[in-house]
Amino acid sequence: MTDASGNNNELSRRDILRVMGVAAGMASLSSLPGCGNIWERQAVIPVENWHKGVCRFCGTGCGMMIGVSNQKVVNVKGDESAHNKGRLCIKGLMNREILYTKDRLLYPLIRKNGTLQRATWDEAMELVAKQFRQAIDQFGPDSVAFYGSGQLYTQESYTANKLFKAGIGTNNVDGNPRLCMASAAAGYTSVYGKDEPAGCYEDIDHAGCFFITGSNTLECHPILWERIRDRKRRYPETFIMVVDPRRTFTARHADLHLSIIPGTDVALYNAMIHEFIRNDFIDTDMVENYLSFQEGKAKKSFEDLKQHVAEYSPKKVAMICGVTERDIQEAAYQFASSDATMSLWTMGLNQQVQGTAANRLVNAMHLLTGHFGRPGATPFSITGQPNACGGVRDTGSLAHALPNGRVVKNPKHRQEMEDLWKVPRGRISPKPGFHAVKLFEAMNRGDIKCCLVMCTNPGHTMPNSGHYRKGMEKTFLVVADSFHPTETTRFADVVLPAALWVEKEGVTGNAERRYHHYPKVVDPPGEARNDLSILVELADRLGYKELISARTPRDVWEEWRKISAHSKYNFEGITYDRLLTERGILWPCPSEDHPGTPRRYLPGKDPMAHGSGRFDFYGKPDGRATIWLHHQEDPLDPYTEEFPMIFNTGRILEHWHSMTITGQVEQLKPLHPDYLEIYWRDAHHLGIEEGTQVLVRSRRGEVELRARLSDVVRPGMVFATMHSAQHLVNFATHDVYDPFSKQPAFKRCAVSVRPKSV
Amino acid sequence: MIEWKKRSKRYQLGLLSFAFLTLLLGNSAWAGEGAHEMSGVGLLRGIGIAASLIGIVGLILVQFTYRARLPRGTYHWLLLVGLFILPITATTSTALTVLEGTKAVDACASCHVMKPFVEDLKNPHSASLASRHYRNSWIAKDQCYACHVTYGVNGTIEGKRDGFRHWLYYVTNTYQEPVKYAGSYPNSNCLNCHAETPKWQRVKSHRALSNDLTTDRVACIACHGPPHPLPHERKFGNPSNSIHFQEANDER
Repeated sequence: MTDASGNNNELSRRDILRVMGVAAGMASLSSLPGCGNIWERQAVIPVENWHKGVCRFCGTGCGMMIGVSNQKVVNVKGDESAHNKGRLCIKGLMNREILYTKDRLLYPLIRKNGTLQRATWDEAMELVAKQFRQAIDQFGPDSVAFYGSGQLYTQESYTANKLFKAGIGTNNVDGNPRLCMASAAAGYTSVYGKDEPAGCYEDIDHAGCFFITGSNTLECHPILWERIRDRKRRYPETFIMVVDPRRTFTARHADLHLSIIPGTDVALYNAMIHEFIRNDFIDTDMVENYLSFQEGKAKKSFEDLKQHVAEYSPKKVAMICGVTERDIQEAAYQFASSDATMSLWTMGLNQQVQGTAANRLVNAMHLLTGHFGRPGATPFSITGQPNACGGVRDTGSLAHALPNGRVVKNPKHRQEMEDLWKVPRGRISPKPGFHAVKLFEAMNRGDIKCCLVMCTNPGHTMPNSGHYRKGMEKTFLVVADSFHPTETTRFADVVLPAALWVEKEGVTGNAERRYHHYPKVVDPPGEARNDLSILVELADRLGYKELISARTPRDVWEEWRKISAHSKYNFEGITYDRLLTERGILWPCPSEDHPGTPRRYLPGKDPMAHGSGRFDFYGKPDGRATIWLHHQEDPLDPYTEEFPMIFNTGRILEHWHSMTITGQVEQLKPLHPDYLEIYWRDAHHLGIEEGTQVLVRSRRGEVELRARLSDVVRPGMVFATMHSAQHLVNFATHDVYDPFSKQPAFKRCAVSVRPKSV
Repeated sequence: MIEWKKRSKRYQLGLLSFAFLTLLLGNSAWAGEGAHEMSGVGLLRGIGIAASLIGIVGLILVQFTYRARLPRGTYHWLLLVGLFILPITATTSTALTVLEGTKAVDACASCHVMKPFVEDLKNPHSASLASRHYRNSWIAKDQCYACHVTYGVNGTIEGKRDGFRHWLYYVTNTYQEPVKYAGSYPNSNCLNCHAETPKWQRVKSHRALSNDLTTDRVACIACHGPPHPLPHERKFGNPSNSIHFQEANDER
């Protein structure tokens, strides 16, 4: 409206429409790049596309979304639809950095005149094939070997296993799971007849009592720990027990911490069983109908067990373990009387000379008290690596094994695999191959001429590694790794650059029997290639083109899942397409419409189980799980005046294994894991001050570390991490191994500790 | 003159009693709503109501009843009070009432899309960050606001824009369920309380990631979440929501 002087003072209808149009235009601009901020918050790290995948690190196997921009991985976030509920730990978050650290190996290397020099793939593979062919022709198939890893994809381990066992004809196929999970596998197979846990992560959400033994869950499986904490947050009366020589971060959250002397687990569990019997917590239905008893090769009875554990009264065991009688009684009571008890364990049990025995006894505790097969009641072995289960244990890529729980020694099993793999009868050697320690010993002797090492670092991680380095030097060593230099590539004759994580596609199986898929979202750097293609090319060059007919991740998976249908590890229903759409599936899964199996051995719930009883332990001919009787044994590396202290090794949250992957990540570099935890009073007696250099010496070798005075360790015990390559604790560790599983005992040896004289 | 003095006393008396009545009314109205303590919001609301009532009634009286009898100066002062000061007071108070009042949990709860969040907050068996902070009284009051601090008077322009956008989607019923947080959640909301403590500073992972945390390149809730029920855990579009993912645990 115009006023007296002709000025327009008010908004006309036209003006109002104009203003609204501008507002609408601004809102619509928000979809243009850069303008989004006007309308809505934008992410700090912009991402073009998100892909569903899994973390590269531990056996928890957290689902994650991988954010890619400009053909680079720029961000990751936890997958809210996966079991980890969108959570990741620091290593999980650093997945976005690991592909771009400076130690990535970009092209093949061949050792010429003592130094590693750049070569082409053709040159390198030709040399490898030639050496392998010569060795096989001249010295027989058993003169070559494959040393693989629980970090290779299932398709890769499966192919290597097939190539060496059904192609070349040697059972010298082993890997780093031997150093990690062998005792757990031997424990499960000897108790149930089949490997792998019966329960799953969901049991954490239902347990009333957690028995965490030999696991620093907070640091080593933080997302599982967080789930345990959630259970306690929801129901504060949940009881958490921790058995660990050290007062770890995990132990500090426990309602009861048994700080046992390293290696005395067998005594402790026997004492707890003693208490179960004494306090009438034995599930008699289990004993009568579902359990059998055995000691060594001799069949036993429940009465024999009673007599056996009569020697292990809490009073006596308190002296052996270095804890109180009352704590043992309390632990036994809490374990047996809760609504549902879940045990979790990992290296503390497995990396012992009596690792298999300890595993068997934890399983026994659950079976005897009936804490089995119900939600929250289960003995759950946590796996260390992301694919020790799916890739190595299930595929049988170990020296004594064949796929799906078969063993080399059994002629029927060999025949089954020969038929399934379509090779002539008699192709698979009846002789078990060399397990890890024996393999590297054989290299020392010169019996192994050529060895292909993939995705692992035995120069760093073998116990008593100083001893085995000579063998690695001697042997024609072919190492496929994403990083160089490492403590293994330094002995290699050929180094092949490997793709890392989502630079290659594959499937892994985590600790809870979940098979899940990793996509390829970026190209590997330089000339790096995925490990499957390396194996396929080697197979071609060695003349096994027809045997290794499956050459892509999808094709190998198709072949493998169909083979699994002929066993109780049946996952035929986990098709590749299902893996692409779902957040992994728990096997057994016999058909495409089957949702997967959270709990095994339950008729009606486990598709492999039959009958209508409470359980069907279908892995055993009599359908009964076995309770094994074991005695506590003395340490094999005796403590003397010269070597009076116990040397314990382990890990921290922020670094992974031999630090090849995490060591160069900017955020993690400042965290130095080269310290020695020593009890303050012991340090005082030895004249060791905080932060000074000390020498830890064993009968085998020594390592220099920086003293950290603490009360985390027991008196008389010292602890160091395995991570640092510059401070290799494995020079001192003992290569003695469990007689059943052949897993070395990293967790305990005898050492002397003294200040390093300047 | 004497008449005016007598009248002015009457006016003073009249005004005083009127003010007293207003306060009484306002007080009972406020008390009737069940406020047991003098909260900041309650006080602001009371001031706003009082200012409005005094202003309206006063202006009517001044303009229509007493105008002729008031001296011109007094009349203009009263108009100043009634047309500027009291309205400004009223609008400021109401604005502050809204800005402060919307900090309360009940204010957030008033939109039904927030129901699963508030129910989870108050669920004694939930493990979400929100419910734990609530249940353990780690945050005394206005729990939603304590973590979503961009609202309120001291909040950011971003917060006002977000509020506007939320309101727009809500009243036009064009929001997508399950609702998701846009962009990167500012870690400062967590760090303002937590980063000061030695316990936080001792954690190696925090020291390693301190740069990433302060620039929001890594979220606190990446490791410590989820803060609220996850999208697939909320029943949505249904007024009678329940946190179904908790139910299984309640049968122990």
